[in-house]
Amino acid sequence: MDLTSLSSELHRLRDAALASVAAARSSATLELLDVEVLGKKGSLTAVLRGIGSLPPDDRPRVGAVANEVRASIEAALAERRATLRVAELADRLATEAVDVTTPGRPIGRGALHPIIETMGRIAEIFGRFGFIVHEGPEVEDDLTNFQMLNIAPDHPARDLWDTLYVDVPGHLLRTHTSPLQIRVMQAHRPPIRALLPGRVFRYEAVDASHASEFFQVEGLMVDEGTTMGDLRGLLDEFSRAMFGHDKRTRFRPGYYPFTEPSVAFDVECLVCAGSGCPACSRTGWMTILGAGMVHPVVLQHGGLDPERYQGFAFGMGVERIANLRHGVGDLRLYTENDLRFLEQFR
Amino acid sequence: MRVPLNWLREYIDIQLDPEQLAERLTLLGMEVKGIEAWGADWRSVVVGELLTVVRHPRADRLSLTTVDVGAGQVLEIVCGATNIAPGQRVPVALPGAVLPGGRRIERAEKMGVVSNGMLCSGDELNLTSDVDGILILPPGTPLGTELSNLYGDTVLDIDVKPNRGDALSLVGLAREVSIVTGAPVRFPEIGLVESGQPTSELLSISVEEPGLCRRFVARWLSAVKVGPAPDVVQVRLQAAGMRPISNVVDASNYVMLELGKPTHTFDAAAVHDHRLVVRRARAGERLETLDHVQRDLAVEDLVVADAAGPLAIAGIIGGASSEVSERTTAVIIESAIFDPLAIRRTGQRYALRSEASLRFEKGQEFRLARIAADRVAGLIAEWAGASVAAGRADSAAAEPGPTQVPFRPARIDRLLGTQLGPGEQRAILARAEIATEAPNGPATIPIAGEVKPLTATAGLGEALIAVIPSWRADLEIESDVAEEVARVLGYQKIPPILPHTAMPPYLDSPLGVRDLVRQTLAGAGLTEVVTAALIAPRQVEAFRSATPAGPALPGDDPAEGRPIRAVNALSSEHAVLRQQLLAGLLQVVALNLHQGREDVAIFEIGKGYGYDEASGLIREWWRLGFALTGASQPPAWNRISRPWELDDGKGLVELIADRLGFAPPAWTRLVGEPVFHPGRSASGASEGALVGRVGELHPALRATEDLRAERIVIGEFALRGLAGGSPTVANIVPIARYPAIERDLAVVVGQDRTAGEVERTIRSAGGGLLRGVRLFDIYTGPPLGADEHSLAYRLIFQASDRTLTDAEIETTLAAIRAGLAREAGGRIRA
Repeated sequence: MDLTSLSSELHRLRDAALASVAAARSSATLELLDVEVLGKKGSLTAVLRGIGSLPPDDRPRVGAVANEVRASIEAALAERRATLRVAELADRLATEAVDVTTPGRPIGRGALHPIIETMGRIAEIFGRFGFIVHEGPEVEDDLTNFQMLNIAPDHPARDLWDTLYVDVPGHLLRTHTSPLQIRVMQAHRPPIRALLPGRVFRYEAVDASHASEFFQVEGLMVDEGTTMGDLRGLLDEFSRAMFGHDKRTRFRPGYYPFTEPSVAFDVECLVCAGSGCPACSRTGWMTILGAGMVHPVVLQHGGLDPERYQGFAFGMGVERIANLRHGVGDLRLYTENDLRFLEQFR
Repeated sequence: MRVPLNWLREYIDIQLDPEQLAERLTLLGMEVKGIEAWGADWRSVVVGELLTVVRHPRADRLSLTTVDVGAGQVLEIVCGATNIAPGQRVPVALPGAVLPGGRRIERAEKMGVVSNGMLCSGDELNLTSDVDGILILPPGTPLGTELSNLYGDTVLDIDVKPNRGDALSLVGLAREVSIVTGAPVRFPEIGLVESGQPTSELLSISVEEPGLCRRFVARWLSAVKVGPAPDVVQVRLQAAGMRPISNVVDASNYVMLELGKPTHTFDAAAVHDHRLVVRRARAGERLETLDHVQRDLAVEDLVVADAAGPLAIAGIIGGASSEVSERTTAVIIESAIFDPLAIRRTGQRYALRSEASLRFEKGQEFRLARIAADRVAGLIAEWAGASVAAGRADSAAAEPGPTQVPFRPARIDRLLGTQLGPGEQRAILARAEIATEAPNGPATIPIAGEVKPLTATAGLGEALIAVIPSWRADLEIESDVAEEVARVLGYQKIPPILPHTAMPPYLDSPLGVRDLVRQTLAGAGLTEVVTAALIAPRQVEAFRSATPAGPALPGDDPAEGRPIRAVNALSSEHAVLRQQLLAGLLQVVALNLHQGREDVAIFEIGKGYGYDEASGLIREWWRLGFALTGASQPPAWNRISRPWELDDGKGLVELIADRLGFAPPAWTRLVGEPVFHPGRSASGASEGALVGRVGELHPALRATEDLRAERIVIGEFALRGLAGGSPTVANIVPIARYPAIERDLAVVVGQDRTAGEVERTIRSAGGGLLRGVRLFDIYTGPPLGADEHSLAYRLIFQASDRTLTDAEIETTLAAIRAGLAREAGGRIRA
């Protein structure tokens, strides 16, 4: 083998390789070609084995030609490789396409009960004003449920609370959360800002607007300087947070034996915006809670000196607040637990 | 209380329209619940004048009339009444008219004659109680006028609060209107003319129970002609919601509504010896009351009696024998003040609550006993032509002066958050007829009343004295005066501020842990429910635990004691306080299955209740309960549906334990609980943090609880923190710097060996280097023996101070294999 024939052999090999590269239709063919030409046992290596038979002076020149040939084949391979990769990726993406308009795979969703949620929302709002949640027994004694709240046995105001009594002497199912006022005052010294949620019971036939079990939230604030103005301001804030900033409120006299003065708190009818409709008995207002300044006798029963301490209490029915907020018209929906109702609160 | 405004105007001038008046009264504390247009249902009833009245040619009892109904229109009308004559003005229902009760009047043929409408009786119009005769209107009544324009009224329905018995009256409400408008109140003029024999010679009274009857006033009337009361009176009573009866009874009712003072009238002829005694009933005494019910009297009852026995249950209801009737010629008026509590107890005993007893229960103004007796006597004299005997019988004629309540204007301003000062407060109180005086020395301020009397002393110049009108028994202590100031001022004038006083120290909310659990479960696809605490006795029994619940978790009550029963429950379905949540949850499942729902996953956080007789303690403990049935995930075309299983229930409990920072619960087989499937239920416990049961509902209960589902997974757990307290705070350890090494191990054991036992054996044999054990497969079948199963675990080894060598891991694995062979009889699969 001489220099010339070796060189031309290399060029022929190069031309054949370049043609094969150009003709390759897949990366796999290309990789095969790579090994066949450039690999350890490839055709280029085979040709270069002939170098040993050349005179020493010619060897560098053939080496130069060989490098040039290798480089051009590698370049062609790389270029073709890149081209094929793009095409192949495009092919793969095309075959992987799915119908994207099908519905997703649903994740199980639960719902939280509107009464517990509303109670939590009330606690959250008053929590912003420093009110702390306390709880107490639902099987309550007559003393705390009534007498310490200035409601003696046979007090005519007992008509306001139809009571369920139990087979434990001296006990009943608490008719309101107000006995917690007494329990909190007995257990904590002022300043007191307490929020008292829970289940209450009444001797009452169940219909759309009456329940024998429902939930109330009581509030109690007692220290040395809490006024009726504080009560009004706080209730206004509550109404804004719960029903919206644009709703007017009304602060008017009410009656409870355990507050003096007593308050009824109204918010503008959420149905008719105050113009008068059946929902608000055409008054334009809806009563959302009762309140008042804690009666001196109640402070005394709580172990506090009414000359030194004063404060207010308020109480609201959670169902009523939830009714107004969500437009629910029938109390029975809350206790029936029909999932078609509950799942709307997600 | 129903308040016809035309009647109210008798006592005060009112310029406000009814809506304005209603709002002002509501803001004053006299809440107007409704405004009724009374008489609005007399549509097309007009005033007509009878021109002719002749006998119907074919019916003796009918008359043919011609009636001028104004504007020259004359109608022929057939009428069945006999009290009509030409020239009378009468109400005429024109064709198309609709009368109270929805009765529609049309042109109709009556025995061959066309009647173009109907002449109306007072009863047909709900105006008077006269059924037989046509209502004869006063001669000057304008022809053709709609009757509703003449007799229609606006009736306010006012919710008078229990402390304001004085306002259960037109005069009392006129006083409230006066506070609003400043117009003067016209108290009714008594105008009594007495004649003949003095009362003291005709009648004697004796009060044997002065504690229960503070005053008893009686009057005597003779020559009484019982008949209907004047139409205007009947119209007023009807509008106020009382049925007119006779001039005598109506006079008593009229005064009750006018002054708020109930009185009673006896037929004097039925009173033996003309002597009335107020005493307690004696054992065995009976009385037939006005409603013609024979009542056995209780010895606590206060009665008005004569020598022969009880005539009336005092303050509640009269007796039939002494009822005023058409034959009555002499009447005794009783105007008494009875003890409110005694009246209330007796009224409750007989389930008799009348307009009268309602007023007695709220207390009565002392002087009204006298005034009402005179007023009723005067009205009966006027309406029934009676003569009134001179003087009264009166058990306590001396009337006390007004009470005085000293108060401190500065204290009232401090309570209300106002800056009115003494001058303005005096002016405000004067509007409610409360006079004020400055004391000429230190004053004793009433802070708290009867129960725990408390007073404070105010120095000279600090206090004023409120002179309370005799009718305002509700004003007793300083804070009562504060309310009066606030209400007359208007609560709307109290400036709203936000609290700026000292804050209480921080305490965790008991809602915190509950909310974490609720949100976790809702996120896992469960819906929260709230079920009744009172359930049926049957449910309490069916779900009663056979085994003790174990010790209570910290901060919560132990679940112990017998069920607590509501003694006056309205429904047997809600009569006993629950001791677990499962019965209620399954009721919700049943309801939703009946609605056609197949997949139900619900939970509740609620209380159980018990009474421990031995200790006398009432227990209320918190629980989480859940019930799962149907598909465990929403149905989808791209997922194979899988039902809820026991393992899902356990998984939910493990999720909550993890969320609350508790150690994973250890599961053991649950035995002897009839509610659960004996082979598919477990007890779970995490020391001091979580304890409870989960399993499939026993198939037998599917029938008794009416559950149309193949399988239902139920669970109930006590969790630390449900009753209050803070969630566990995560305590972070550094991330290990040396690699963890995993090895899989399959062990073949007899099927009587549980996974729980095998895992405990692996853990105890694995020692400190074994950081994790995860079961990833259970295999049964060839080549294993029929009573064998293979449990495959992935074991994770790690040390915190070095990379473990193969030798160390092999040593540990050898110890585990040996332990399994020894403890569980297991062999290791290749």
